[in-house]
Amino acid sequence: MEVTIPTNLWEEDSDAVITSWLVSDGASVNEGDLIAEIMVEKVQHEVHAPSSGTITITQPAEAVVSKGSVIGSIA
Amino acid sequence: MENERKLTIARAMAEATAQEMRRDESVFVMGEDIGQLGGVYGNTRGLLKEFGPERVRDTPISETAFIGAAVGAAQDGMRPVVELMFVDFYGVCMDAIYNLMAKNIYFSGGNFKVPMVLMTSVGGGYSDAGQHSQTLYGTFAHLPGMKVVCPSNAYDAKGMMIEAIRDDNPVVYMYHKGLQGMGWLGTEQGATVHTPNEDYTVPFGKAKVLREGSDVTLVGIGMSVHDNLKAAAKLEQQGVSAEVIDLRSLVPLDRDTIFNSVAKTGRLIVVDEDYKSFGVSGEIITTIAERDISVLKTSPKRVAYPDIPIPFSRPMERFALPNPDKIVAAFNEMK
Repeated sequence: MEVTIPTNLWEEDSDAVITSWLVSDGASVNEGDLIAEIMVEKVQHEVHAPSSGTITITQPAEAVVSKGSVIGSIA
Repeated sequence: MENERKLTIARAMAEATAQEMRRDESVFVMGEDIGQLGGVYGNTRGLLKEFGPERVRDTPISETAFIGAAVGAAQDGMRPVVELMFVDFYGVCMDAIYNLMAKNIYFSGGNFKVPMVLMTSVGGGYSDAGQHSQTLYGTFAHLPGMKVVCPSNAYDAKGMMIEAIRDDNPVVYMYHKGLQGMGWLGTEQGATVHTPNEDYTVPFGKAKVLREGSDVTLVGIGMSVHDNLKAAAKLEQQGVSAEVIDLRSLVPLDRDTIFNSVAKTGRLIVVDEDYKSFGVSGEIITTIAERDISVLKTSPKRVAYPDIPIPFSRPMERFALPNPDKIVAAFNEMK
C-alpha cells in the first residue's frame, strides 16, 4: 500500500517538507504508527502508517512534497 | 522484537516530561508558549491536553518572574520544568538563575533543595542573528551551582530530561534548535534516533565515545558532535582514524574520558559552536595540559565560533560556524 501525504491536514495548496522520517527504510511498521513528520509554513503535521508491513521510503527527509504525494510504500 | 521507533529530540523531551508528570505530581511546566502551542520547538507538545493548565502554565514574557517563581516552588517541594525560550535572553533573568537558582542550596547550608530544570534553546545556523543563535554553554558552565547538559540525539535527550527532573540540583538543559526536528530550523537528521518507550535515565558527567579511533580525538557537544562525526568520515577517506567524543554534559565534565582518549590518540581537536575565547574549548584543552601534557604529540586545535556577535546574513553566518571541512583542515594543519 502506498504511503501518501494526506490531503486534509492543511487548507491551502502549499508545499510541505518531510522534516523527519521516524522509521528507517526497510523497518517493520504497524498500521497507525507515527512514521514521519512534515512541515507546512512552520506548522508540523504527522503521517501515520496506512497498513502494517515493511516500509520502503521513496522520498527522503528534506524532500518537498505536496498533498497526495507518494512518499513510500508498505508491503 | 520491538519495532524501530525513532523520535526527534522535540518528541523525546515531551515524552520524558509527560512520563515524569504521570509518575510525580510535583512536576509541572512553565514558560512562554509551552502550553497551547506546545513550545516553539515542539518540546512540550501534548502536555497541556493531558495535564491541564494547572500543571502546564503559559506565562507572560516575564522571565525574571516565572524563573524566580520556579526557584521558590522548587524550594517548597515542587519540581518545576521552566523554559527560557532562547538562551540569548538570559540577561533579563540572570539574577533569578545565578543568584537564586544556582546558589540557594549553598546559601541555606543544604537545608533547601532546588530541584528544577531550566530548559533553553541554543544554537544557530538558520539566519536568526545575534540575539537568537548563541549557544552560551560556557557562560552557564562557568558559574558554579548548576549542572549544564546538552543532548546530541533523541535517546540521550529523553534519558537526560528524566535525569534532570529527578535531580535535586538545578539543571540547565540546553537543546540545540538544529537538532529538534523542526524543519524551519534546518534539521540535523542524525539526531533523530530509536528511542525506547519505557522511562530510563542517562547519567550526567558521562561522556560517550561515539566512534573509536587512534589518530586524533574530536571533542564536542550538541550540534558539534554531528560536525565531528561527518569530519571523522571524511578523515577516514584520507586514511585517518578519528575518535569522536560526545561530552553530553559540561557540568559535571567527564574529564577522564577526554584524557584517556587523548592519551591514546595523542592529538586533540575541540569543536565548539560557543565563542572561542574564555570558554568550553579552552577548558577541554586545559584538562589535558593540567593532567599530563606529555600525552600530546602536537599542539591541540580549536574549531570554535569566532569572537564576534553572530551575523544575520546566511553566507556570513555559514562562514563563521564550525563545519566538517574546517575540522579536517585543522587536522591537516597539525602534524
